[in-house]
Amino acid sequence: MDIVVCVKQVPEVAEAELEVAPDGSSIDTEDLVEDINEWDNYAVEEAIRLKEAHGGSVTVVTLGDEEAEDVLRRALAMGADAAVLIDEEGFEGSDAFGIAGGLYGVLKDMSCDLVLTGAQASDDGWGQVGLILAERLGLPFASLAVDIRIDGDTVFVNRELESNTQEKVALPLPALITIQTGINDPRYVSIMGIRKVRKIEIRETDREELGLSEKEVGFGGSGLASRTLSLPSAGAGAEILTGNLNEICEKTAQIIRERGGVA
Amino acid sequence: MAEILVLVEHRQGEIREITFEMLTFADAFAAENGMKVTALLPGAGVSEMAGRLENACDRLLLMDSPELAACNPEAYLAAIEKAVGEYKPLLTLIGHTAAGMDLAPPLAARLGIPLVTDCLDVSWNEGELEVQRQIYGGKINENLRMKPSERYLVTLRPGSFPVSGPRAGAAEKVTLEPPAWPQFRRRFLEYVEAELADVDITAAEILVSVGRGIGKPENIPLVQEFADAIGATLSCSRPVADKGWLPKSRQVGTSGKTVRPKIYIALGISGAFQHQAGMKNAETIIAVNKDARAPIFNVAHYGIVGDLFQVIPVLKEKFS
Amino acid sequence: MIPSRPLFWHIEPVWLFYVMAATASAVFAYGTLRRLFVWAGGVRNGTPFFSRESMKRVFLDGILGRRMLKEDVAAGMMHLLIFWGFLGLFAGTLLLGIHDYLFRFLDGTVYLVYSIFLETAGMMLLTGLFWALVRRYVQRVPRLERRADDLIVPVWLVLVVLSGFLTEGVRLAIQQPSWEGWSFAGLRVAALFPSSGSLVSFYPVSWWLHAILSLAFIASIPYFKLFHILTAPVHLYVSPCRPVFIPADEKGPEHHYLFHDFIAFDACTRCGRCVEACPATGAGEPFSPRDFLRWARPSPSVFPLALSVPEGERDSCGDSLMWHCTTCGACLEVCPIYISTPDAVRRARAAAVEDGTQVPTLLVDTLEKLYKYNNPWEASKKNRNRWAREMGVTDFTKTKKADGICYFVGCTTSIETRAQGLARAFSRILGHAGIPFGTLGKKEPCCGDIAFRAGEDGLFEEQAEACLDLFSRYGVEEVVTSSPHCFHTFRNEYPAFCRLSGRPPTGISVFHYTQILERLVKTGAIRFKKPLGLTVTYHDPCYLGRHNGVFDAPREVIRSIPGVSLVEMLHHREKSLCCGGGGGRMWQEEFDSDPKMSEVRIREAAATSAQVVITACPLCLIMLEDARKTSGLEDSLRVMDLNEFVAMALDLADENKEEI
Repeated sequence: MDIVVCVKQVPEVAEAELEVAPDGSSIDTEDLVEDINEWDNYAVEEAIRLKEAHGGSVTVVTLGDEEAEDVLRRALAMGADAAVLIDEEGFEGSDAFGIAGGLYGVLKDMSCDLVLTGAQASDDGWGQVGLILAERLGLPFASLAVDIRIDGDTVFVNRELESNTQEKVALPLPALITIQTGINDPRYVSIMGIRKVRKIEIRETDREELGLSEKEVGFGGSGLASRTLSLPSAGAGAEILTGNLNEICEKTAQIIRERGGVA
Repeated sequence: MAEILVLVEHRQGEIREITFEMLTFADAFAAENGMKVTALLPGAGVSEMAGRLENACDRLLLMDSPELAACNPEAYLAAIEKAVGEYKPLLTLIGHTAAGMDLAPPLAARLGIPLVTDCLDVSWNEGELEVQRQIYGGKINENLRMKPSERYLVTLRPGSFPVSGPRAGAAEKVTLEPPAWPQFRRRFLEYVEAELADVDITAAEILVSVGRGIGKPENIPLVQEFADAIGATLSCSRPVADKGWLPKSRQVGTSGKTVRPKIYIALGISGAFQHQAGMKNAETIIAVNKDARAPIFNVAHYGIVGDLFQVIPVLKEKFS
Repeated sequence: MIPSRPLFWHIEPVWLFYVMAATASAVFAYGTLRRLFVWAGGVRNGTPFFSRESMKRVFLDGILGRRMLKEDVAAGMMHLLIFWGFLGLFAGTLLLGIHDYLFRFLDGTVYLVYSIFLETAGMMLLTGLFWALVRRYVQRVPRLERRADDLIVPVWLVLVVLSGFLTEGVRLAIQQPSWEGWSFAGLRVAALFPSSGSLVSFYPVSWWLHAILSLAFIASIPYFKLFHILTAPVHLYVSPCRPVFIPADEKGPEHHYLFHDFIAFDACTRCGRCVEACPATGAGEPFSPRDFLRWARPSPSVFPLALSVPEGERDSCGDSLMWHCTTCGACLEVCPIYISTPDAVRRARAAAVEDGTQVPTLLVDTLEKLYKYNNPWEASKKNRNRWAREMGVTDFTKTKKADGICYFVGCTTSIETRAQGLARAFSRILGHAGIPFGTLGKKEPCCGDIAFRAGEDGLFEEQAEACLDLFSRYGVEEVVTSSPHCFHTFRNEYPAFCRLSGRPPTGISVFHYTQILERLVKTGAIRFKKPLGLTVTYHDPCYLGRHNGVFDAPREVIRSIPGVSLVEMLHHREKSLCCGGGGGRMWQEEFDSDPKMSEVRIREAAATSAQVVITACPLCLIMLEDARKTSGLEDSLRVMDLNEFVAMALDLADENKEEI
């Protein structure tokens, strides 16, 4: 079966101290390491496992700058067979519809039995591109998958709901599924592994080649007029509470009430 | 008069909390901007749930059809498409939940309307829709202004809005005929419950966490009482789980779980690196430790240098 | 009559014997060739074929049994009896063959000496075998296993020897040569048989019995751990006795093991000395070097052997074995034939890392952090030299030139809060002694040790290249490290890396800070005045002591401080017990047992009644500090790095640290 995985390269911010540009338009990404979006990494691993179990091929697609090639190489080292890079030039200011449009431009001509994407990206956290893409490709879909099982032409998906509950659904192939974290244990990608796949050619394409106009993608196609970023109110280092025992507990209780919504 | 359409989210006959949050918000929004609030309740056998929504909106749309029994997005899409087509709301609100995330993007794509997800606040300024969100895992706030449009679709983050009591005035009930259903491709099979054996600490809003400083398992009930008093869940650091004083499912840290509660209270936890990694992104961290130089104080927001066995009883009293 | 012994006396048909011998040889050859094919599949280790050191080792440890006698004289003696006994009998048979087929010389006095020689050898072998059986089955020495072949093989050999004496005895009883007194043992046997006619017909029976038993024994050698007869000396010869870095290449996993690893797998006789020495086994973990070697040994065919785990069983129990090893080298220290399990483990890890699916999750995270942020601790480079900036330490990347010794701080010391104390103290001491030094600031990469021990050779190469680039760019000539791991890697792995990748030599001389401190004390650059009045013990870090032989420098420093009395732990110097942090274990809690290795060690420290445990490695510092708390020793014992201790003795106390 042919599987396509859509991935995104994002900056790793878990332990970084972020700074916003003075005009509030973007954050300073200079010192940040870029890596594959965590959700997408799970999706790639899932695709490789499905390929190992059912045979076929895995193609990874991303929309980004030339650095995004690292993410594709990583996926190839994990076991993907082919990769496509859509140059992000021309897509600046896109919203999810624009990104999905770019991906659609590539996927519509590909044979896909299954399309996987991460449920959301760790930078913008929209959670939209996957299912918009499904709608455009006319594929049945399911989001937030924590378990996938393929049986002939049907794929059984366990979706993660809240409160420890899951929902089990069945979809006919071809289908699109967005992946939730924790679905599997992504394998390690060694440096040697990446070196071994450096000769695999990555197909490159762009907005023009895909025949997408400025009204469909980029700022022109986006529903957003403007975006302003700001830092939430800061708090650094523990404030050691002082006073006698009763005073300290009083202050603590107040904090717990305010911050925890406790009566 | 412009309309706000709120999708009622329910599961197995229960209306979910997010619905009431959205309705409360919609109410305030409508009042501010002179709009009407319409709630859409698609489902199978909705009359009982409808009863609970009588004083929650201006108009209540009911669509009762067996195809809407489980939350099948294909059916819901058709249902919402019909409602939007007929009532032409300016703003449609859906919860940013597992169900909502399955619905909102394809709906927006099908209807061709702008979509913003996981919003913390929405406002209407001189004919422009503005939303507040967070990006980069909550580290940066984002304010988005939308281009002018006839319709907007917004999903709201659960827990962002309080729930108010019922408003005066009953809703106008309207029954909506189901649309012509398409051929469904997706099939709902069943709900799968996780073992009820133990609590999922990652879902808790307040965690009271014990470390080696607890000394012995016999001391844990004392802390449990405090946790109960503030509606918190008990968790622990690795040594406690290793010794079996609490089940491994309660362990916070690199080899346990990563948690992001609203409040994390660390009792007798030194704050070793592996533990810090599992809890340092909690919104408010309060640490109690005898050692003023315990690393936990580097990551906590508030610290108490003292004996947890002295602090906890007094603190518990404040909540009784 | 001239003393001699006729060949095939009263034995018919002789051709049957030759057929049996040929069959036995064929079976032996087949078994041996099979293993040789496996060996040939291993990567060459680049050591020269002829080496005087190797020959010395074979002689001292193989022939004279030096390593076997070490620590266990009884075992050594027992084995020497068997070894020389067997060798003697083997030589005897060889000489007999030469005598019968090439030229006669075993006549007369020569024959008499030969007789005594054989008798003695036979008795030695018999004594040794009985002793061995007693040790294994009566004394039940814990490290010895009691599997089927452990019993069958020695008993079989006993039967071979006894049948030999029996045959000889019967022959002497029949022939009654005048020189029979020279065959003293056979004589005893002969006395049991009254001379009679039936004895003559019994003799061939006994002879054939002995022939069959012996030939069967020889044929079976390659199929049991008996093979060590041949493989042990070979391994003694080829073992490099030091880490061997072969750069990772494009070949598949089966080429990960070096050819001497394959020999090691076949040479291990499961004596269990490594099991006794291994700290992981001692702490109760489901791992021992012996288990690993058994798991790793490739089984070339279907033949069910007692020595190797059948293919099906291999994966389930063994896959996680390789991750337990801390690479401390305690096993290498005691192995009679110098099998280096840490090296074999490393290569097994290299195969797993390349495959990617069997790597423990915590290690995956750690290696990925290392790749992206040059440190295994956190996903950020920002904090790397925060401690140094706060103290105003010179940053060579800012001054653009290394004026003074380069202090390579290391990942753990730079980032982990407790370990930073080491760096601060060392900086103060150097400042106090007026030694110019600097660091590589935020640009300091990881030395690559963690990647190397985990088998991620590609990542190691990247870190190594980064380090060497910085060293050459800023003209660094002298490097001092906080961590013995960095010290070891710079000193041992980097030169090999440079050689094999065609780079020029490293150009740096590497020291561990304990050596610098020793130098400062000896030259009088630092003098201790205040007597401390403390009893201390010193924990030898594996990578400083055992792997690199630095035992005395830190002790000299401690002894030069007045009012300090140094008590040694039960396991010290080469026998030091690993703290459990090496080999990537620091970041892999999931393999810990109860008690943890670190807890076992801290209790040993507490048993000395010392007030302070001094260590010289940031990983040991963190592990022992943690163990001290989990073992409830917080009030009775302190853990300090040697720098902190020296700084305290010099009154250069750190505001951040608590005083005694």
